[in-house]
Amino acid sequence: MTTWTAPEIDRTHEPLVGDERTMLEGWLDYHRDTLLHKCAGLTAEQLRTASVEPSGLSLLGLVLHMTAVERSWFRQRFTGQDLPDLYDFDTDNDADFHAATDADPEAAFAAFRAEVDAARAATAGRSLDETFTLTRSDGTRTFNLRWAYVHMIEEYARHNGHADLIRERIDGVTGD
Amino acid sequence: MTWIAPEITRTPEPYVGDERTMLDGWLDYHRQTLLLKCAGLTGEQLRTPSVQPSGLTLLGLVRHLAEVEAWWFRENFAGEPVDYPYFTPETPDADHDVSAADAEADFATFHREVALAREAAAGHALDETFTEVGAKKRTFNLRWVYVHMIEEYARHNGHADLIRERIDGVTGD
Repeated sequence: MTTWTAPEIDRTHEPLVGDERTMLEGWLDYHRDTLLHKCAGLTAEQLRTASVEPSGLSLLGLVLHMTAVERSWFRQRFTGQDLPDLYDFDTDNDADFHAATDADPEAAFAAFRAEVDAARAATAGRSLDETFTLTRSDGTRTFNLRWAYVHMIEEYARHNGHADLIRERIDGVTGD
Repeated sequence: MTWIAPEITRTPEPYVGDERTMLDGWLDYHRQTLLLKCAGLTGEQLRTPSVQPSGLTLLGLVRHLAEVEAWWFRENFAGEPVDYPYFTPETPDADHDVSAADAEADFATFHREVALAREAAAGHALDETFTEVGAKKRTFNLRWVYVHMIEEYARHNGHADLIRERIDGVTGD
């Protein structure tokens, strides 16, 4: 039996010139690819390793987290699709990160890709000026789709910064 | 009295806005977040590479981003001559070499570079294009610079999260 390792990723680079939508989609896709790129070549055990203790973050935890974040902002909140949460966040606010201890990475990667495809479908043809409302314990806020795009870029980028240091401590690999 | 990095009250980004408002708001949020990650630490703590084997330090990130601001907004976009505070052709990684760095002076340099970068971009359309400095001569627009700077800060703020946590246990967005 061959041991599964995370696949190599051929990243698509963002456009250097473009209109607003092209630029936002290009950068978001670049960071979606970058997260997988930081995982490439590692085994399940390596992907589950919280290598920058005391932080509990692992590369697999980041993939599970971003899968949930994609669903949350684009499908549950922006388009209002009636979809279940992927984890019981009422019991554990970090349930996605914690699931990394025994999640199957191959299945997690497939779920991530499916969620990204669904997110793309949810936003296709929708204006960046479209708004949506979110009610949380700290009040009700209105966002537009533009906010969600820029937020997702900076959310991925920040977690990819975590991924940089987690990866370096696993096998020494660095780079954008 | 020993200098410590000042406390920061961040301005949240707008939740609804046009393109420029949103980009300016998110970029400022991440500029402030980098300083927030440093807040309350001494010069010695800011110079500590706490996630070895990475050599990254919080002060090195502040110095690096000061030069990145100048590089993209002033030298590349606006075509201004820039006198870099750390970089020389002989020491291209001088920003991250904090062994003899003065943190208080470096924070002042960061604030100055951010102000100059804002000035360089003010009043220019996001569709304005420029040819990059250097051999490749690729064409970019100002929109690219904004989104790049947001993701550049955000990625380094991810580094800052883990560096800070290993210095004194502080975490958070």
